Amino acid sequence: MVDFARVQKELVECHKDAEGSGIRVAPKSDNLVNLIGTIPGPTGTPYEGGVFQIQINLPEGYPFEPPKMQFSTKVWHPNISSQSGAICLDILKDQWSPALTLKTALLSVQALLSAPQPDDPQDAVVAQQYLKDYQTFVNTARYWTESFAKTSSRGVEDKVQKLVEMGFPESQVRSILEAVGGDENLALERLL
Amino acid sequence: MIRYKYCYFVSRKQSKREECGKPSPSLFSSEFSLFPFTDHPIRSQSPNPTFSILFQMEDYGSSDDDYHFSDQEDSDVELIENDDRNFELVSSKTPTAQVITKESLIAAQKEDLRRVMDMLSVKQQHARTLLIYHRWDVENLFEVYVERGKAFMFAQAGVSVDECRDSDSSVSALVMCEICMDDVPSDEATRMDCGHCFCNTCWTQHFFVKINEGQSKRIRCMAHKCNSICDEAVVRTLLSREHPDMAEKYERFLLESYIEDNKRVKWCPSTPHCGNAIRAVGDDLCEVECSCGEQFCFNCLSEAHSPCSCLMWKLWEKKCRDESETVNWITVHTKPCPKCHKPVEKNGGCNLVACICGQAFCWLCGGATGREHTWSSIAGHSCGRYKEQEKSAERAKRDLYRYMHYHNRYKAHTDSFKLESKLKGLIQGKITASEEKSELRDYSWVHNGLSKLFRSRRVLSHSYAFAFYMFGDEIFKEEMSDAEREIKQNLFEDQQQQFEANVERLSKILEEPFETFDDDAKVMAIRMEIINLSTLIDGLCKKMYECIENDLLGSISLGSIHSIAPYKSKGIERASELPVCFSNKANNTGVTAELNQSEESGCSSRKRARKDGGFFDLNLPAEFVDRN
Repeated sequence: MVDFARVQKELVECHKDAEGSGIRVAPKSDNLVNLIGTIPGPTGTPYEGGVFQIQINLPEGYPFEPPKMQFSTKVWHPNISSQSGAICLDILKDQWSPALTLKTALLSVQALLSAPQPDDPQDAVVAQQYLKDYQTFVNTARYWTESFAKTSSRGVEDKVQKLVEMGFPESQVRSILEAVGGDENLALERLL
Repeated sequence: MIRYKYCYFVSRKQSKREECGKPSPSLFSSEFSLFPFTDHPIRSQSPNPTFSILFQMEDYGSSDDDYHFSDQEDSDVELIENDDRNFELVSSKTPTAQVITKESLIAAQKEDLRRVMDMLSVKQQHARTLLIYHRWDVENLFEVYVERGKAFMFAQAGVSVDECRDSDSSVSALVMCEICMDDVPSDEATRMDCGHCFCNTCWTQHFFVKINEGQSKRIRCMAHKCNSICDEAVVRTLLSREHPDMAEKYERFLLESYIEDNKRVKWCPSTPHCGNAIRAVGDDLCEVECSCGEQFCFNCLSEAHSPCSCLMWKLWEKKCRDESETVNWITVHTKPCPKCHKPVEKNGGCNLVACICGQAFCWLCGGATGREHTWSSIAGHSCGRYKEQEKSAERAKRDLYRYMHYHNRYKAHTDSFKLESKLKGLIQGKITASEEKSELRDYSWVHNGLSKLFRSRRVLSHSYAFAFYMFGDEIFKEEMSDAEREIKQNLFEDQQQQFEANVERLSKILEEPFETFDDDAKVMAIRMEIINLSTLIDGLCKKMYECIENDLLGSISLGSIHSIAPYKSKGIERASELPVCFSNKANNTGVTAELNQSEESGCSSRKRARKDGGFFDLNLPAEFVDRN
């Protein structure tokens, strides 16, 4: 049975310090088993400026068993699967200790973003690129941050979705949206 | 005179052993080659030939002084001991292998725990944590202690000896548990030796999860990055309050760690499992017999397979499994095509056979032919004419035939062994019959001969598997030149043949219907012959082992990984039982006391009832028992 009293306390604790650390944890629905964590990309990394969402699932034995965490924002990083968002981090596996909290775990994930460990990769393709062609890696990671981890970019996806549902071809929608600087109404006028 | 000679022999052996300190099984090889046994002069000089030779047969060159006689041989030894008490010095030695039953497991574990506790003056739980970390290798543990110091050794194994237990915990009435983030009264919280304090509920939960994850042997403290191992006494106390079944499981894992994490102890591989484990002292390379009767190689846990090395045996077993049935059928029903080497089955017609690859060949000789033929002859082909075959065809064929050669002989001896196993009952009948009509009362020689025969059969069959790899290309191709190989092969086969011929003689003579003989002298003659043959076989077998160890494997650089279990004249060593001592000590606080408790409280009642009331049913893995 998940210790909900502790989870609640953790949430309160985390909320208190949200401004300072930038790390937030919020329940996904009305139960406390599925949560969403948010971490800002660390400064000085290709992830800077991005806000990354992490799905958190608390197992039965929490806090004696580690929480399951997975990026829901796409991210280009040697230790995070570019496909599924799975994270390769020791404290989320055998090095977990009940004394750790969701906040400390998220802080560790954030630290992982600033210090990739390509020798222990989750995503072999990214790790190869990191080791062999660092510059391309940085560019790709930055591009992914721009495309998927920025609030504005998420808005763009929503707008594209909306316009596509109206019956316009996606490629056209994208190019026009880009041309008008993301203004949905302007884009619609042009499309019509 | 003979005894004198024998004693000389023994003392030589012993003095050498004492110099070495530790019995080394390979010792006997060079030592005993000084005494070519086959043409030992003693036999003809002996005034009382039966006993002296018999005795030599029993003890000749036993490389380990420690041995437990198997049942059949007991009678002989007693007999000899009655004959002359001086001989006793050979029989009462400590054994190299011991059976650990579920009853003696605690005692066995305590033995090692006690050594560490005494040496380092630590508590039992710390000794256990240290030993589990060092995989129950006390020597290795002491080595680390001497070389790296106590502090390092403790830190490495996660042992914290508490220094600050009662410094502050008793002061404040409430303690904040960092796990559940609640304030709890200090008497409901526990501080581990490492100094970390959490509430009992959280600790219990932590233990529960860890044991379920199968990590009960090393449960670490809950604090992040704390490497310290939780005190087993705390685990036990806290767990038994909430989850008595888990506490029991925990005890079980701790106990079985002595078997599972221990290089020197292995489960007996019998199926269904007899519940025993075997502890070997000294060399891994030995063959032992569990008290359940299972004989096995301690190193690889498969059946006793010397003079094959473990690796060879593994390869051979696999090869036999993969190929024997198929090979048998193929040899009987097919011939390889001379062009593509695929086995071809003839399904009718004349002797000209066409393979699916298009090649025609003669069914009689297997040689390639043209297509033109009559029922009686094939154009341009006569079976009598010798033809050099293509190299690869020859090679493929040679490989197969080579395997078949060895496999057939291997199988022949295995089959003989199976047939002769039936002799045992038969011979008992013969003995009973003889005892009724004759004056003779001692028939131990029959049993002796029989057990020698069984043993020799197994050695013989394994020796063919050995030869297959020793002189084949699979393992040692690069190790010997062809000429060397040939010399070695001749040397080995010579000995193997001598050995084999005498084993067959023994087999034949054991089938003699001695119970029908009217004349006791005739029975005595058979008896003499069996005894002499047994002695001869023993010597030959030993020589063959020596040849394998020294001349064949010893000269090869890869030979070391193919070391074999040394030959023992008396057969495979039967592991001795460890003494069981439960309630011998008043300070039996640890596992034993707890176990007794759980036994009394009826926790183990759901386990299979055992007539001997053992604490654990080691027949079943813990998880399995738990599921029931």
